[in-house]
Amino acid sequence: MQNSHNRSVWDAPYPMLVISVCCATLIMLLSSCSANLPVQRKTQLAEEGVLEVQYSIICVIHGDGDYLYHDTSGNEYKADEEALAGAKKVAQQNPNAEVFIFHQRPRRHLLFIFPLRDGEFFYYRNGRLIANEMYWRDQGQSCFEHEVELYRRFREINKGKTVSMFLYYGHEIPQFGGAGYDASYPDRTFTVLDFANGLKDFTPESARFNLMILSTCFSGTPYTIGTLGPFARTIIASPENLHLSYFDFHALERLDLSLRDGDVPAFAKRFAHQTFDRLASDLQTAVSISVYDADRVQNYLHSIHKVYDHTLTTIKENSSSSTVPIEHCDCAELPAYVLPTMNNGVDVFYRSASFGISKFKQNHSGWECWREIVP
Amino acid sequence: MKARIAFGSIIMMFVLTLPANAGGKGELQKHFNDAANKVKATENASEKRQILNESFQSMSKVLDKVQSSGLISNEDRVGINSLQATLKKNQDELAGNNGYERVSDVQLNDFSNYVVQNMEQAEMISISVVTLLLIIILVVLLV
Repeated sequence: MQNSHNRSVWDAPYPMLVISVCCATLIMLLSSCSANLPVQRKTQLAEEGVLEVQYSIICVIHGDGDYLYHDTSGNEYKADEEALAGAKKVAQQNPNAEVFIFHQRPRRHLLFIFPLRDGEFFYYRNGRLIANEMYWRDQGQSCFEHEVELYRRFREINKGKTVSMFLYYGHEIPQFGGAGYDASYPDRTFTVLDFANGLKDFTPESARFNLMILSTCFSGTPYTIGTLGPFARTIIASPENLHLSYFDFHALERLDLSLRDGDVPAFAKRFAHQTFDRLASDLQTAVSISVYDADRVQNYLHSIHKVYDHTLTTIKENSSSSTVPIEHCDCAELPAYVLPTMNNGVDVFYRSASFGISKFKQNHSGWECWREIVP
Repeated sequence: MKARIAFGSIIMMFVLTLPANAGGKGELQKHFNDAANKVKATENASEKRQILNESFQSMSKVLDKVQSSGLISNEDRVGINSLQATLKKNQDELAGNNGYERVSDVQLNDFSNYVVQNMEQAEMISISVVTLLLIIILVVLLV
């Protein structure tokens, strides 16, 4: 009788379960260690596309952080999953495009021990999924090393004129510090400079993206736009907080219709306007979207370069020695930044929050700065 | 018995891992989202105010306890201070204190959405997962 009680733990069906788990673990380990390239091959190469690639879109979606938000009915959404779905739809709805989607996901472990790949890559051409692979995203020096590797492997070399776009969906990219950006890698840093260094490998031969969309909070700063200007002709960004429901993907569907004339700056303004209208109707918080002509803003950025750098340096020094509270603010509220060239090359769509201390603010310069919080 | 302990330990690990995987912040957002749902479900403006006020007060109480626990880092302290300041501003605006215009009765549903959306933005980004878990546990126990 006693034996029958003892048997309940280790006898059938548990041995089968243990063996199954061991086999699964072994398979996962073998697949994890297999390739030279840090990718898991699940590629389905399709026949060559019939339409010429006129649009090349790279979309990086950061999902390794807290990206939960709610709509006004209280329903929960994961921002990165929503962005991924939007990016896939864009890829499927554009017959003349190639679309690279990189979904940077939280690190997970099999049985709490064995790490699993934490990046997922999708490549669409002519509206069809050509490749879907998992990859490691934290083993290189550059923040986009493995993304670039995949990009180079699949990109279409087109001698004709291609409109190129780079989209980034995630949290605010820090201007300094940057530790903890990836929740799974709290010691790893990610800053605007890291982002720019990563972009270098996506843009060979000193070429620039026609359009860059930064769907993050506080990316409309002099430093961020100044640092990323060499990589894009037109940049869409939010100078203030941007809600996790993000910039719209809808406007990027059917580029063959909406961008038929090839006028990217005009398209960028339509995109910003459309996104602004949607966000302003859904949100009670502030909505700010700016379109920057990366060349035309250079004069202004050059004029304020020293004062902004000084501010950043001071903040960096203070952050290591004390806790002087700082906050973002419209650069127009700081006299040193108010210059006649401030509005050159910037189109701003702004609506203040319906509540809070800034609810009566009428407009925004399109540039976000830092200031110390006055108690 | 050992099997039960092992099974219980695995379940506990899953339970503790879930909020950690969600970054912890999601659980806090749910606290305000639940309050917003309750606000929208009632017609009575006084009840709406009471629901909002209680959600601010209960969260403030939890943050006070975490602050005084001595278990958190200086960085987390700064993040919690920022969160507390935001809650205080919301509380002041709801009641019309400290120079804020009182939120009118007809705006209370919109205000509850504002609180949720504001919390979903960058406020809690500097609070570590461990501290967030501590806050969540206290929210579950005390609220």
